[in-house]
Amino acid sequence: MTATVQPVSLELARLESMAESDYYNPYTMFEWPDTLELDKPWMSEDLVTLAGTEFWDELPREQQLALTRHEAVNFFSLNVHGIRELLSEVVLRIHTKTYADASEFLHHFIGEENEHMWFFSAFCLRYGKKIYPAAPNLTPATDDGLSKAASELVIFARILMFEEIVDYFNAHMATDTSLPKIAQDINRIHHQDESRHVAFGRTIFTQLLQQVKEKNPEDIPRLVTYLDAYLDYSIRSLYNPAVYRDAGLNSPLELRRQLLEHPARAEAHDRILKRTRKFLARNGLIAQEAVA
Amino acid sequence: MTTTTDKIAAIKAFIAQRNPEAADVTLDDDLIEMRAVDSLAFVEFLFLLEELSGESIDPEEIDVEDFRTLQRISDRFFAEKVSA
Repeated sequence: MTATVQPVSLELARLESMAESDYYNPYTMFEWPDTLELDKPWMSEDLVTLAGTEFWDELPREQQLALTRHEAVNFFSLNVHGIRELLSEVVLRIHTKTYADASEFLHHFIGEENEHMWFFSAFCLRYGKKIYPAAPNLTPATDDGLSKAASELVIFARILMFEEIVDYFNAHMATDTSLPKIAQDINRIHHQDESRHVAFGRTIFTQLLQQVKEKNPEDIPRLVTYLDAYLDYSIRSLYNPAVYRDAGLNSPLELRRQLLEHPARAEAHDRILKRTRKFLARNGLIAQEAVA
Repeated sequence: MTTTTDKIAAIKAFIAQRNPEAADVTLDDDLIEMRAVDSLAFVEFLFLLEELSGESIDPEEIDVEDFRTLQRISDRFFAEKVSA
């Protein structure tokens, strides 16, 4: 799979050391109440997909709270599915020649991601009684005409973007004392681990990008297009009609379309993507004017 | 009432907006092979079909073959529903 990709050379001792010192047992460290407070939001009110719009303001308080519950379960469900996909990719690469230098850290990464998937799914199943289904995958990854190095870059770019987007939410909700304690705790722990994963992801992204720039610069324009589409796809995945249906909102698909076109939501998307867009811009993979 | 022709036209418009090279897709063209709808657009495509058909689509129960051509989409989602 990676025969024509040069082995990555990474200095990961500091991240490995931090992973060891931060280690915790996720199965015993959380206190899971039997039920969560229905008079509290389960997701920060300014992070729900209706925030900043008249659609939110017009909802009765009970329905606002119901929406935060379903949006929290949807957000954690997206985490479950995102982790499932990234784990399968990383497991395929650990201890291969290209990633030999990263294998020690990848053991920590795989272990931690598995644990994150466990506590996210536990929240969904205990309090939401379900995990929202994953977005369907249309085709297996077939030959898309990209070089090997660019294809590898796409894999790690998807992982990095997913982690940076969810971390925006985690960082905020980790300190939102209006949420039930378990929701704060899960977001805080995830944020703590993800800071290491993002640092790793940016390092490996930069190395693979250097290889593409040196050997297959013709792939760069396609990468720019793809990464931009992937950011858009990731943002859209937050807007789940099933959530609106479950919260008793009318015309879920029409509401979703109106929200995606709403100026207040465009501003929210810019805030969510600001860090990632800056990183891509620094690496020449996004138009500078796209950086808010 | 929206006719099947209108619905097919709406799907073609969706495809043309995202992939201008596939704007002239025929009823029997393979939408997946020609990448008229790619993985990143597929979720939006399903939401469009839900709106056009009025039918909820379970993402865990889909058969990709139902989405391979406009003809199959029409047969699967827009066929006249006969009430008993």
